[in-house]
Amino acid sequence: MQMSPIIISMKTASAAIAFTFLLGIFVARWVVNIKSEKAKMVLDGILTLPLVLPPTVVGFLLLIIFGVNRPIGKFLLEFLGVKIVFSWPATVIAAVVISFPLMYRSARGAFEQIDPDLVMAAKTLGMSERKIFWRITMPLALPGVAGGGILAFARGLGEFGATAMIAGNIAHETRTLPLAIYTEVAAGNMEAASYYVIIVMSISFLVVALTNYFSLKERKYLK
Amino acid sequence: MKKNIIMLMIICLVFSLVGCGKNTPTDESTITIAAAASLKNCVDDVLIPMFTEKYPDIQVKATYDSSGKLQTQIEQGADIDVFMSASMKQMNELAEKGFMIHDSIVELLENKIVLIVPVNNTKEIREFKDILKADQIAIGDPASVPAGQYAKEALTNLNLWGQVIEKASLGTNVTEVLNWVAEGSADAGIVYSTDAASTKKVKVVAEAPEGSVSKVIYPVGIVKTSKDEASAKKFLDFLQTEEVKKVFESYGFVAK
Amino acid sequence: MGLLVEIKKKLKGFSLDVSFSIDGEYLGILGPSGSGKSMTLKCIAGVETPDEGRIVLNGKVLFDSEKKINLIPQERNIGYLFQNYALFPHMTVEENIGLGLKLPKIEKKRKVKEMIESFRLQGLESKYPNQLSGGQQQRVALARCIVYKPDILMLDEPFSALDSHLKDQLQMEILALLKLYEGEVLVVSHNRDEIYKFCKKLVVLDQGKSILFGETKDIFRQPRLHSAARIVGCKNISRCEIISAYSVRAVDWGLILNTEHPVPDRTKYLGIQAHDFHLLKTSPDAGIARQNNVIKCQIEKIVEGELEYNIYFRNKEFADANGNSVLLYKVRKELWDNRQNKGDVYLRIPEKSILLLE
Repeated sequence: MQMSPIIISMKTASAAIAFTFLLGIFVARWVVNIKSEKAKMVLDGILTLPLVLPPTVVGFLLLIIFGVNRPIGKFLLEFLGVKIVFSWPATVIAAVVISFPLMYRSARGAFEQIDPDLVMAAKTLGMSERKIFWRITMPLALPGVAGGGILAFARGLGEFGATAMIAGNIAHETRTLPLAIYTEVAAGNMEAASYYVIIVMSISFLVVALTNYFSLKERKYLK
Repeated sequence: MKKNIIMLMIICLVFSLVGCGKNTPTDESTITIAAAASLKNCVDDVLIPMFTEKYPDIQVKATYDSSGKLQTQIEQGADIDVFMSASMKQMNELAEKGFMIHDSIVELLENKIVLIVPVNNTKEIREFKDILKADQIAIGDPASVPAGQYAKEALTNLNLWGQVIEKASLGTNVTEVLNWVAEGSADAGIVYSTDAASTKKVKVVAEAPEGSVSKVIYPVGIVKTSKDEASAKKFLDFLQTEEVKKVFESYGFVAK
Repeated sequence: MGLLVEIKKKLKGFSLDVSFSIDGEYLGILGPSGSGKSMTLKCIAGVETPDEGRIVLNGKVLFDSEKKINLIPQERNIGYLFQNYALFPHMTVEENIGLGLKLPKIEKKRKVKEMIESFRLQGLESKYPNQLSGGQQQRVALARCIVYKPDILMLDEPFSALDSHLKDQLQMEILALLKLYEGEVLVVSHNRDEIYKFCKKLVVLDQGKSILFGETKDIFRQPRLHSAARIVGCKNISRCEIISAYSVRAVDWGLILNTEHPVPDRTKYLGIQAHDFHLLKTSPDAGIARQNNVIKCQIEKIVEGELEYNIYFRNKEFADANGNSVLLYKVRKELWDNRQNKGDVYLRIPEKSILLLE
């Protein structure tokens, strides 16, 4: 067993959750405030798509975007000298796209269950939108948002299909835990695979436990 | 509503049974070929139509899988007349265990291990030792993919393996390796020449240098339990005709 | 000084069309649920935007569709007591009260302490809202509004969330606390008694429209409109036909009634408050009865209340009775129990109590 897949996976999942978390909250807030129900529905569908699509489809779409023979990938390579595919950032991109819907949906749910009267009351009390967001909306949405973040982290950690397609399977660089497991199983090294499996299961268990802790933990103001 | 659903289910059932009916035997003889997956396109698209045109009274059915799996199936008594393997290993094992008609086995084809690059690649990779110019290299995982085993063998003999593995993305099957190169994600890759011939998006820049790698031989033979050895023999002979050799070559094989 | 509201807004199912103005007095907005009361408050507070119209508070234009003025809620300086109080559940009493104050720390603390004392919330400073009783929550919410010195205080159904046995006491408390506040007060309610107790001026809302505006007492005494009479709680309403300048026929009751004032031409209904009947001691002659607004009662049902009986009855001499023919008479128990005439009951409708409605 090598340590590198563990380290790469942790790095990837951490970087991914940093983006997903902020992006998810930002987009959820934006969607919640959209007035038109139709636009909301369509947008929600698109934003949730990566959750329901097979990861290989997401990988395919990402390849269409970032592949070196595709307009955007070509532009990045020729003008900025950046090759996204088969590099570590590609693992992060795959994880962000795949885990985003979980974060977005959790955050949206958390925002929507806040009593709109509270926000109105805050407004009539002269609080700025920013202060309302940080002092009212976020604290009240925190359990849902945190739970979503943890789930998104776990999903990012487990990402395999899209990662294999755009990041490849390069040892010490893009070989994440799921890829390492797949490689070992394909080679018949069940023992090596089982070590990785135990690690993934431990992390996942920890994550589920944390989620439950956040959702079940009685907030002191509800006692 | 309930009635409609039941009707629908009955209709589906009837259709599925209709499919079974097609199997009724006729006067014609039928042979079944088990072929390595890499032969699928070639056999399905060209060889079977060609053969049935020549011998209208012989029906040909084909099943494709990895050679190892096909070997297992034959060992377990699958109803197969002709076995086309992607490696001598499986054929030899079957022959030793007495599943094949010994003198029917021929070394039909050779597949080459080749170095490929994306068609518009600018890395100036022209021969095997240039492979290190690539930023990322796609090869099959030697632990599980035969093409990867050959690639490792060749690169080890060329003293390149140690450096290549540092930037190698290991595919779990040879198609994945091919696609990585075809999309330009990897700058170079090592696959079979037949794989390289299947897409216009990659360019073969070199064959593995003579002696660096064992030959990849595709043998063919008749299974002992064949019920129609005569037709199977006709198919084997057909495979060795000049016109079929040309077909094989167009698919990237070297005919022996 | 004062508040002027003239707004229109299209909503699902109905459109809001409200106009009134006040000048220092407490104003009540009375209307059934769904009549647009809360929406009116929200438009004034600026959390909803009317389609057109004007809102001016103490000379400051808050909203003017023509001049394209629409101040954000934060700039309006309006105290809004929400129906469910809208206390921030994750903040203590102290934090809730002090949150909107833009003052230096020490001053803020002093101010909050002052409010906590005035609103008798001592000892609850670090409690969370759901650890408080309904009345305490309401006082916190009110303190939170008042500490911020709003130009107007708007109370949305201030007592609907409270247990009824506490209501009276809490209403008195709130009235006392509101004295701490010098400014306009606007109370929204579907409860007539609350409005009657709290507000000098009244707007009656029906299906989004402000149908009446005036002195509360006047409107309760003479609602003028059929829908307004219902809303201010007139239980007995009948269609009517004008017979002469001083007499009408109550179609649903089968009665001819004399009026105190000339009957306006537009009169289509008449009403009588359940308390306004006059119980006759003796049976009058049939002829006199007819001339003097007297009903011979056929009692349908008597429902006993705490202090009163609710007596449902019909005109015994009216043959074409329908569903609208049942009247309600509310009477103090001792008056009813001690009535001398235990046989047929005769009620007189005093001329001055007849509400002539459009």
